[in-house]
Amino acid sequence: MEFTLSRYRNVTVLVLVLAAQLFLLAYQIKSRQDVRSIRVWAVTGVMPLTRLLDFLHDNTVGLIKGYSGLMEVKDKNKDLQAEVAKLKMENNFLRTELATADRAKVLALFPSRLPSKSIAAHVTGRGSDSSKVVFVDRGSNDGVSKNLPVVTPDGVVGRITGVYPDYSQVVLITDINFAAGVISQKHRVHGTLKGQGNSVCTVDYIRNEEKVEVGEWLFTSGDDRIFPKGLPLGQVKLARAGKMFFQEVQLVPSGLQLGLEEVLILLEGVHQPIPDHAPPSASAKLLPPPPAEGSDGPDSARVIRGGVATTDADQVLDRYRRIGAAQGHAYGSGGGTPNFAIDPPPPRPPAAPPAPETPPQ
Amino acid sequence: MALPVARRSDLRQKLRPFLLMLAPVASIVLHIKVPLFSDYFSFLDPPLLVTVYFALLHRDAVQALFIGCAIGLAQDALSSNPIGQFGIVKTLVGYIAASASQHLNVENMVARMGFAFVFYLFHQALYAALGASLLGQQVSLNPAEAILFAIMNAAVAAPLFQLLDRL
Amino acid sequence: MPDVATLPADQERDKEHEVRKVLGEDPKAAANRIAVFRYICVAVFLYLLAGFWALQIRDPDYYAELAEKNYIRSQPLPAPRGRILDRHGRIIVDNHSSFSLYLSRDNLKEDHLDAMCSALDLDCADLQERLRRYDRTRAKYEAINIKSDLTSAELSFIEAHGGQDNFPEMEVIQTFRRIYPRGGALAHVIGYTGEISEGELDSADFVRYKRGDIIGKTGIERQYNDVLMGVDGQRRVLVNNRNKILKVIDHKGAAAGRDVRLTLDLDLQAVAELAMTDRKGAVVALDPRTGEILAMVSRPTYDPNRFVGRIRAKDWSEIRDNLDYPMMNRAIQAQFAPGSTFKPIIAMAALEEGIIDDRTTATCTGGAMFYDRFFKCNLRSGHGYVGLNRALVHSCNIFFHNIGMKISIDKVAEYAELAGLGKRTGIDLPAESEGTVPSRRWKMRTQRQRWFSGETVSVVIGQGALTVTPLQLAHSIGGLIRAGEWHKPHLMLDPPPSLDPPRKANWSPENTSKVVNGMFGVVNQGGTARGAAIAGIEFCGKTGTAQLASNDLIRSRKLGLQLSDNAWFVGFAPRVNPEIVVVALYEHGEHGDRAAPIVRDVVKAYFDSKHRRPQTLIAAAGAAR
Repeated sequence: MEFTLSRYRNVTVLVLVLAAQLFLLAYQIKSRQDVRSIRVWAVTGVMPLTRLLDFLHDNTVGLIKGYSGLMEVKDKNKDLQAEVAKLKMENNFLRTELATADRAKVLALFPSRLPSKSIAAHVTGRGSDSSKVVFVDRGSNDGVSKNLPVVTPDGVVGRITGVYPDYSQVVLITDINFAAGVISQKHRVHGTLKGQGNSVCTVDYIRNEEKVEVGEWLFTSGDDRIFPKGLPLGQVKLARAGKMFFQEVQLVPSGLQLGLEEVLILLEGVHQPIPDHAPPSASAKLLPPPPAEGSDGPDSARVIRGGVATTDADQVLDRYRRIGAAQGHAYGSGGGTPNFAIDPPPPRPPAAPPAPETPPQ
Repeated sequence: MALPVARRSDLRQKLRPFLLMLAPVASIVLHIKVPLFSDYFSFLDPPLLVTVYFALLHRDAVQALFIGCAIGLAQDALSSNPIGQFGIVKTLVGYIAASASQHLNVENMVARMGFAFVFYLFHQALYAALGASLLGQQVSLNPAEAILFAIMNAAVAAPLFQLLDRL
Repeated sequence: MPDVATLPADQERDKEHEVRKVLGEDPKAAANRIAVFRYICVAVFLYLLAGFWALQIRDPDYYAELAEKNYIRSQPLPAPRGRILDRHGRIIVDNHSSFSLYLSRDNLKEDHLDAMCSALDLDCADLQERLRRYDRTRAKYEAINIKSDLTSAELSFIEAHGGQDNFPEMEVIQTFRRIYPRGGALAHVIGYTGEISEGELDSADFVRYKRGDIIGKTGIERQYNDVLMGVDGQRRVLVNNRNKILKVIDHKGAAAGRDVRLTLDLDLQAVAELAMTDRKGAVVALDPRTGEILAMVSRPTYDPNRFVGRIRAKDWSEIRDNLDYPMMNRAIQAQFAPGSTFKPIIAMAALEEGIIDDRTTATCTGGAMFYDRFFKCNLRSGHGYVGLNRALVHSCNIFFHNIGMKISIDKVAEYAELAGLGKRTGIDLPAESEGTVPSRRWKMRTQRQRWFSGETVSVVIGQGALTVTPLQLAHSIGGLIRAGEWHKPHLMLDPPPSLDPPRKANWSPENTSKVVNGMFGVVNQGGTARGAAIAGIEFCGKTGTAQLASNDLIRSRKLGLQLSDNAWFVGFAPRVNPEIVVVALYEHGEHGDRAAPIVRDVVKAYFDSKHRRPQTLIAAAGAAR
């Protein structure tokens, strides 16, 4: 036996190592539990080293780019940019509130509706597999918890899916496991955005009767209870009627277009109104200015959505309502006998939503 | 290509603990960081190349499978999948590369590149097969892309192995 | 650094070398064979391991399917219910694509329920109770529907949280939701659907159905549930541990329910609905020649769209606790004294029994004593010298009280029952009321008292213990004006119902035309509904004003409107061979002439749409189909 084992030592070790790993996999799958300690060690051990690579990158590629004398300034600038982005988001909120007519109401609401509290984070690395996952250098020690939104001033980046003491894992908006509630800017159409594992996301559950335009901006709707309402998601790339009642809508996410370096993690999200015009171009790094009104914009979406579900019975009722109105006839009351054989005046079209500005391209 | 058993020990490199520690860690850091600087580098798989390098260098199957296992598990820990998928694949890569190296000449640069090429494809195929069979992942393998990436990894392997030889 | 020669691998190889030497083999060939053997060992091991994995980790229950079925998930493919159409094929109730949330119980974590319930506005205690019920009766692998008709916001929440790291037990299934007319129009006739209740599961009516089925609860939805309800399909899929579908095992498509065409005419229905806006009561229109119901309205109403899926407890208690009983179909369930609308039946009975004839008259001075009690007429100054025609035209109570002095209550009951009162008409709707036709036997049975002749005096003018439903009144008058030929009221047109032959009483056509002429005068000869005349149409009718309480009681308690009289009107047209009978009950309408315009509008709509139909309606109906 001893002879056999030593003779086939290599194979035996291989079998044991493979078996151990298979059991580890099996445990995770069966118990639906993660082996967190291994991840914590790996993340805590590896992530700080990425700083070194950042340093090397900045000192090599940075030098080539001619910024060698500005290293310190650049670092400082990076921090400041993150700070500015955060302040701009807060500023947008304040401007929204101040623009509303009822200042007293705003002041009363202010403590309960503080703008999203955020923390700047640096992207330290991507996931080692093919999924769209990155790591950021903020963890539970910084107050980060699972499911928090991760954004840049350009738009949504993703959400936190794993939290370690000093680092967190972020699933990107383009990952197949990502989904978020969206609302369209022009017609306030609601839907659900889903990552596809490539650079384009789809938006599901938008009925064929609803209006979505190519180039239109989509924002978070807050419906998913993860992202506060009003964060830009991106522009519609494709919108066409699909099979089985629902449209085929594709969107180019705006949050990832300029690469990923610094992001904001929203520790406490605050819903904001949907702006009536497009967010400024991504390079400007500005959140869109707040809308003048404090409401959710035109009601047309509700008209459209409510108007979807009608039957002939509703239309016949509406016809007789119009006949009554045209003849000044109060149904079931005295007065002249109505003539129901006439064709009633056509229904008034619903009020069109205010024309939005053309988004700057 | 098979070498006489008597010559094996002459070719064996000395163990360098610092390299054994540093290279796997560096490969993982590179793997998760470099694509952030530029997406063009996302095809690179330094952890795999390092696994193959150590397997070819030491020719000890047990040592190679442990190195592969450690690198693989670290990769798993930094992915969003259950831990073990990369570990199993890299364990097998290490073992098979080391076993094969005992019978083949691995000193030649072209042979090493050949190894890198073959093991890249082997790694991708096994990873996908494991994902599909054990985890039910939806696998979409693009053979043309895989071969192209294998060639590119092989091309990177040549200078990388040279560099590691000198360290 | 250890000496390379002492490395374990080398020791092993040296041993191998020695073995080969002993065996006398060529060392090189032997080494190759051993290497091959080694790889074969690895391959065999991996194969065995894969088998172990498949059995124990990935698909353990595939092979122990009956035990657990963890990895075979049954996905329901809900069948759309049949649509409900009006007589011209216009859609009253349709289906719309919607999404339902299903919960897979095999990987459910109890601590997720609270968060799910709060986000999706579900009653957690109720859900837990349902889960327990399902656990007892249904296989664990069957996902259960916990919320239907998901809103866009709920879909976003489920999709965003449905991943492996949050609530993987949530599953969205595309299904169909019912669309009912808005604002509660037709709600009482059509009814609504909902998940089968525990009580229904135990009842014989629903023996074919299982827990979780969506069935008709009231109205046509319940009455013709078997026709409307399709057969759900089912797709069984093999899923892995991460809930990913690996393959579809079998697929049984859903069979849609059958469309039903009702006798209702949406034109008349719409006018009746609009006429009853902000009023309490009911309208029934039927074709006396066939018994087909053309319109049926009950007010107040409720919105059946709120019942789609699972109604919220708050909404349900709001409807249930409403003292106006919006769920009650007053057209077939409200039982009120018919007031003077009963007089045509009494007139017919008196004529047929020879109690009155053309020469019978009475003198009305605004009131008279009968059995030591003073009865007032509706005109305080009195109608003067009245015969049958004038008594009907002006609704003179004194003339009919005089009949009441001569006719026995049992004769009254006989004619009333012949006309279809005091028993269900048999309409194809659930929970119809019987109404009350008093008689000696009835009083003895219910009150253990003998009948007093004085009570008959009240009954003949539609007061006292007599109660009818609006449908019963329409049905009875519809048969009376056809000289005693009653067709069973019904709502189903297609698939055609099996109908009994009409009941016949063979009343004299002369007597019938005397009553009909009186009712013509009510509208067209300065009678109690003179404002309701329609130019060009021989519209006939009879007003009725039924007391809910004595005038003294109203005055003394100052109760005001809620006890004020109910207004009735029963109308038909044309005078000869009538095509439509309409009854309007306007609760607390105070006087019958206030119910007359409701009926007039419906009758007018009938004739207008009849003339219009050949050109436009047929086309519209065709387009709708």
